Amino acid sequence: MVKNLLPETLEDALTIYFGQPELVPYSGGTDIMVGSSCEDKNFLFINRIPELKQIRLDNEFIRFGSACTFTEVIENDLTPTILKEACKKIAAPAIRNVGTIGGNIANGSAKADSALIFMVTNSLLRLQAHGSERILPLRDFYIGRSKTAIKQGELISEILMPKQNLDNYYYEKVGARKALSISRVSFAAILDVSDDIIRNCATAFGAVSDVILRPSEIDNMLIGKSIKEAKAIKSTYIATLDKAIVPRSGRVSIEFRKDVCMNLISDFLESNGI
Amino acid sequence: MIDIIKFNLNDKEISYTGSASARLLDFLRDEKKMTGTKCGCKEGECGACCVIIDGKTVNSCLVAMGSIHGASIITIEGYSKTERFETLSKAFESVSAIQCGFCMPGMLLSSECILDGNPKPSETIVREGLSGNLCRCTGYNSIVKAVLKASEKGGGLW
Amino acid sequence: MNNISSSIPKIDHLEKANGSAIYVCDYDTDDMLHGRLLRSSIAKGIVRNVRIPELPDGYFYVDSTDIPGKNQVHMIQDDTPVFTNDVQFIGEPIGMLVGPDLKKVGSLLSETQVEYENLAPVFDARGSEDIFFDFNIEKGDVEAAFAHADRIIEGSFETGLQEHIYLETNGMIGKFQDGKMIIHGSLQCPYYVHGALVDATALTHENVIVKQDVTGGGFGGKEDFPSALACQVAIAAFKADGKSVRVVFEREEDIIATSKRHPSYCDYKLSVKDGKVTGMVSDIIVDAGAYTTMSMVVLQRATIGSSGVYNIENIKVRGRAPKTNTVPNGAFRGFGGPQVFFAIEMMMTHVAKELGVDSAEFKLKHIVQQGDLTSTSGKYHFPVPLKQMAAKVLKESDYFKKQKQYKNQTGRYRKGIGFSLVFHGAGFTGNGERDIIKAVAHLKKLKDGRVEILTANTDMGQGLATTFTKIVSKTLDLPPEKIIFSLPDTSRVPNSGPTVASRSIMVVGELLRRAAIRLKDEWIEGEEQLIEQRYEHPSFMIAFDAVNFKGDAYPTYSWQATVVETTIDTLTGGISIDNVWGSFDVGTPIDESIVIGQMEGGIIQSLGYAIMEKCTIYNGAINNKKLCDYIIPTAPDFPNMNVYLYVDEYPEGPFGAKGAGEMSHVGGAPAVLDAIQNALGTKLSKIPFMPEDVLDILREEKLDD
Repeated sequence: MVKNLLPETLEDALTIYFGQPELVPYSGGTDIMVGSSCEDKNFLFINRIPELKQIRLDNEFIRFGSACTFTEVIENDLTPTILKEACKKIAAPAIRNVGTIGGNIANGSAKADSALIFMVTNSLLRLQAHGSERILPLRDFYIGRSKTAIKQGELISEILMPKQNLDNYYYEKVGARKALSISRVSFAAILDVSDDIIRNCATAFGAVSDVILRPSEIDNMLIGKSIKEAKAIKSTYIATLDKAIVPRSGRVSIEFRKDVCMNLISDFLESNGI
Repeated sequence: MIDIIKFNLNDKEISYTGSASARLLDFLRDEKKMTGTKCGCKEGECGACCVIIDGKTVNSCLVAMGSIHGASIITIEGYSKTERFETLSKAFESVSAIQCGFCMPGMLLSSECILDGNPKPSETIVREGLSGNLCRCTGYNSIVKAVLKASEKGGGLW
Repeated sequence: MNNISSSIPKIDHLEKANGSAIYVCDYDTDDMLHGRLLRSSIAKGIVRNVRIPELPDGYFYVDSTDIPGKNQVHMIQDDTPVFTNDVQFIGEPIGMLVGPDLKKVGSLLSETQVEYENLAPVFDARGSEDIFFDFNIEKGDVEAAFAHADRIIEGSFETGLQEHIYLETNGMIGKFQDGKMIIHGSLQCPYYVHGALVDATALTHENVIVKQDVTGGGFGGKEDFPSALACQVAIAAFKADGKSVRVVFEREEDIIATSKRHPSYCDYKLSVKDGKVTGMVSDIIVDAGAYTTMSMVVLQRATIGSSGVYNIENIKVRGRAPKTNTVPNGAFRGFGGPQVFFAIEMMMTHVAKELGVDSAEFKLKHIVQQGDLTSTSGKYHFPVPLKQMAAKVLKESDYFKKQKQYKNQTGRYRKGIGFSLVFHGAGFTGNGERDIIKAVAHLKKLKDGRVEILTANTDMGQGLATTFTKIVSKTLDLPPEKIIFSLPDTSRVPNSGPTVASRSIMVVGELLRRAAIRLKDEWIEGEEQLIEQRYEHPSFMIAFDAVNFKGDAYPTYSWQATVVETTIDTLTGGISIDNVWGSFDVGTPIDESIVIGQMEGGIIQSLGYAIMEKCTIYNGAINNKKLCDYIIPTAPDFPNMNVYLYVDEYPEGPFGAKGAGEMSHVGGAPAVLDAIQNALGTKLSKIPFMPEDVLDILREEKLDD
């Protein structure tokens, strides 16, 4: 019964998945094991494939293997602080010890805390299938509520975070309690300023809408500007964001989500002198 | 390819041939009759089913059998035979930290993992380390006190 | 053990630490049958037809037609059916499917179809015309007080549902063999279950046996509810050919189908003359849900407690418990107290604000004294140490300085500090102990010199096994190892009453102490001896008239003064608890660590109730039915609890002990809401108060600017 479900290499996993596309990839299990129907599913276990558990650096990217657990990501020296901080806010140790960053992305949730950081950093996904692979910006991976662009037979093998200056970041998770909470609003932003010029400005809003919002076109308004120039267009920037953020109601109200987003974006700008 | 799921459970080698999708929690409770591991929610929220897998605390309700091939698992039945348990249990006893007890096997295993990773943890680290183990009786104060006490008294054990 | 209060190791510590304690879910199920309840999917209607799929061998279905006795669960009034045909709430049991494989039972259940004739349900308690209970209290001359008042100040208050979330869900195992029905499971009150089973099974008292298993938390949630589940399991057990039938709820089923804390709506009017409250009119509504269960007693406590710890000479209180087509609300730690004490405590702060005086000082000016009349014109017979207790927490917290400092803050984070004063009447309301419970306790001395405690009281985590052992051991001068405490079994223990109402130590503990004194006097070495001790009503008590609500509702009271300090995040609405200071007088603590654990556990439940635990019902269906939706506090949420025990010994309680378990759930909510009021500079009147509510207030504040 368990035959062929426990591949030891990525190649084997992709071959099996190609032949049995009805299998459900199992990485950490912390989402798919919730609910009673999981016991009737057939899983393709990819949680112990060494290639998927590496974190390494190349010329362009920090490359995160998709089956790295949140704990492994937190403990790795290559992980930027912003990602560590977000991963530490996920659930509790027992979940972080098995839940994976790949799973956090693959489930297509707008509440995914690590995915928020991969969004704000314009990370890419390496999607591999039997005999093929492609690189897709994470932003294009999310196509709707719990809907992703993953194709039959494809696995997320790596998350590629472009190297960039992440020293000056802003991150806030609003949950229902201090630990073990699902985001009700989450916000991450990066501001890279050198010689008084904004080199990079990126924001992302989680748990607000069907997908994580990453309004890069709006953020571009500030890029290339001096702090003073940014101040001058601040109200336009905020007003444009205000229009772009259309929350849905859920465990909390639309008004609450909207207020928190706008409060946090203002605080992010103010704390950077904008 | 692997046909049989093999793992170590409380220092015993286990070969498992049942469904790979079955929950570790159910395997422990129903097949192995190890009922010290409790089920409080089956959604990974309460921590009553915590076991230690490869040195780390994990909710066994969210673990499919197929995922533990090659792993080493410790449940309260195994842990309670250790010196570390003795010390930890005494510390809990000394402040009457156990009330209804239903969360306790999981709570003690999470405590073990806190001390294993940091023999002299701060109160904040202890609280964070226990954050996945719900207790409705104590208000957590006595439990936190007990873990800190074990850390103090457990000279060299962790 | 020199001092009774010095802590000893809890006698059930090790088995709970090492996982060997057997809870109801832990019995080997290989030879058992599993039952699952068929529950209604509508809130009100008549069951016209139940279509069950063809059942494999060994599977069967039971419903109301299988009940040999009454189709009623005996509680106080017996309106709860064992299995219904006349649905009153979503999730109400219609029948039970039983068989050897739990999964198969589940799939058969999902194929079962019920046809209903739908009727119009009522969900709004304030709009319900079906009033289960309507109580009135009058003291003094309210009309005159209001006529002569300088000011009359009004306020309306709301509290929400609260779910117990004992970590162990409800579960019961039943077996019918040799003419005897043996039921065991997770429960607080073996004789409540026993009484219900006798009525439903039509068996004799002797042929019904109820045993408590190790119980993973109760908080009231296993007071009334297990009687219903036990009856359902028993009816199935009749058809199980001598096999055991087991029902253990999954978390979601437990949340959907078991009792909760009554939501409440309280309207207050206070008359003020020369800076003092002279009169109070209050209208208390608690939403009973679909059946009466414990609502009568909850409403009694709420009605009696609605003037709080204050000496208001002229009062008129009306308390009502309307029916709604929602899951019945029942017993929950504090029993009506958390609702009305929230209301009166907030009301007093609102009045103080209106009068422009400090609310803590205003409250202290009004507290009752020994000898004062209670709301029911009974007497506070014993000293009221609230002044000293309040002084302690106000000083430790530096309340007055901070309270002023925290007014008119700007910036992202705003701090606030709040204060509350509450009591909890110890034991059953009125003459309950004398007229209804009539507790009996036994001490059995074995030939080898060990002494067994025989009572029906249960340890569900609160430490009763240890505290009872200490009382007997101390009185007999025997080491605790010589005292035997087993989980109650109705075939062995007398009816010492239920484990509720903060009565067990004060009432049954005292019976045990008296029995132990007698045993010590009559001790004969090497012989088996049985001492029976019966309840005696304290002679000082003014008899309670339960119709007119006159007389002593309680022999004595436990007291609590609480200060809570919070920080509000104005960007996210987040409410952090920075510090809690609580002073508690529960009489002599029979075990200090155990009592502190009870106080801390109650505070955290109370804080959760106030700012975290939100449970809403939409069209009769509970929205928050998982632990990721119904949020209870975790270890990092509310650290820094400072508990101080103040001891005012109660002469009729063992070693001076009075009620302890419930009160700690009463004081936290008003204190934290007062702190939030302080931080936001506003008046608040409802719980749960959530981050969304913070931002609503700040939004209005912006509009006002």
